[in-house]
Amino acid sequence: MRRATATLLTLAAIATAAPTLAAETAYGSGVGKAQAVKVSELMGNPDRYVGKAVRVEGLVTDVCARRGCWMELASDKEFQTIKIKVDDGVIVFPLDAKGKVATAEGVFTRIDVPVERVAEMKRHEAEEKGVPFDPGSVKGPEVVYRIQGTGAVIR
Amino acid sequence: MKHPWTWRRVNRAVHRDAGYLVAGLTLLYAISGVAVNHRADWNPSWSIAPETRRFDPLPVTDRDTMAASLVTALSLPGPPRASFRRSPERIELYYEGWTVDADVTAGVATLTRPRERPVLREANYLHLNEPKGVWTWFADVYGVLLGTLAITGLFVLRGRTGLAGRGKWLVLAGLLPAIAFLLLRR
Repeated sequence: MRRATATLLTLAAIATAAPTLAAETAYGSGVGKAQAVKVSELMGNPDRYVGKAVRVEGLVTDVCARRGCWMELASDKEFQTIKIKVDDGVIVFPLDAKGKVATAEGVFTRIDVPVERVAEMKRHEAEEKGVPFDPGSVKGPEVVYRIQGTGAVIR
Repeated sequence: MKHPWTWRRVNRAVHRDAGYLVAGLTLLYAISGVAVNHRADWNPSWSIAPETRRFDPLPVTDRDTMAASLVTALSLPGPPRASFRRSPERIELYYEGWTVDADVTAGVATLTRPRERPVLREANYLHLNEPKGVWTWFADVYGVLLGTLAITGLFVLRGRTGLAGRGKWLVLAGLLPAIAFLLLRR
């Protein structure tokens, strides 16, 4: 009986530690195949990279609190970030990744958001971040650049 | 006296042992299922309780100076692991497991410390197949066992309480909400 209890407790301890053990964690198909590009270069010359597989690296400044379906990386240039969006459930970025360094890769994508959808998009973003939606932030159609992520490594 | 291995006796044995095997994980998945069903209303894996603090406004300078001033203004436990400026006046400090997001000109900071919900975080991690890889295979085997449990369960009893008796009506009653829902919603 004691042995069974000890085994159960050990299994429970391993299970509890499982999500947090690794110092470097790979997500999705990992990284390594795509062309490495600085975020500032991507955002400065987006048309050159749209539709191409790219690899970026940066500090994780934000993570989707709801589903872990995106993370935001800081650029090498101040006040600039890039969002790595992944399909819901396929990759789940952990909330405690904020402040860690990540390398991520995927296809650099341009999304043209018509004005009637900008409010919806911003409301959704505000909900995810748990902050109030400011209708004044909707000023017209927007172009959003992001990486449709296929893999990442967070350390 | 030995009992002969009839198909019904084998069915019962398979049902019993499959039941033992999947009991733990089914319970874990059930808890996680209810939790993630309501994720529009709450975060099922993390508890996030932001704390707002006010401080005397600080000058907008460079990132390192602003970070150091904020550490002092908020009496934070030492320099952060990393920092980032979202805009000239907004700076974020990253500590191990918690963050500070401050508007230095407004003198307002939000400290956020996401904490894993005990049991639920682990249950959701497995249920949503976050580990992928080997766990996918375990989960597939579990799915097959669960299916086996359901099918063998239909044939455990005979007679009035068996599938030929009230069992068939209960099976139908179990399916009915899903069928009605699909018919009405699609």
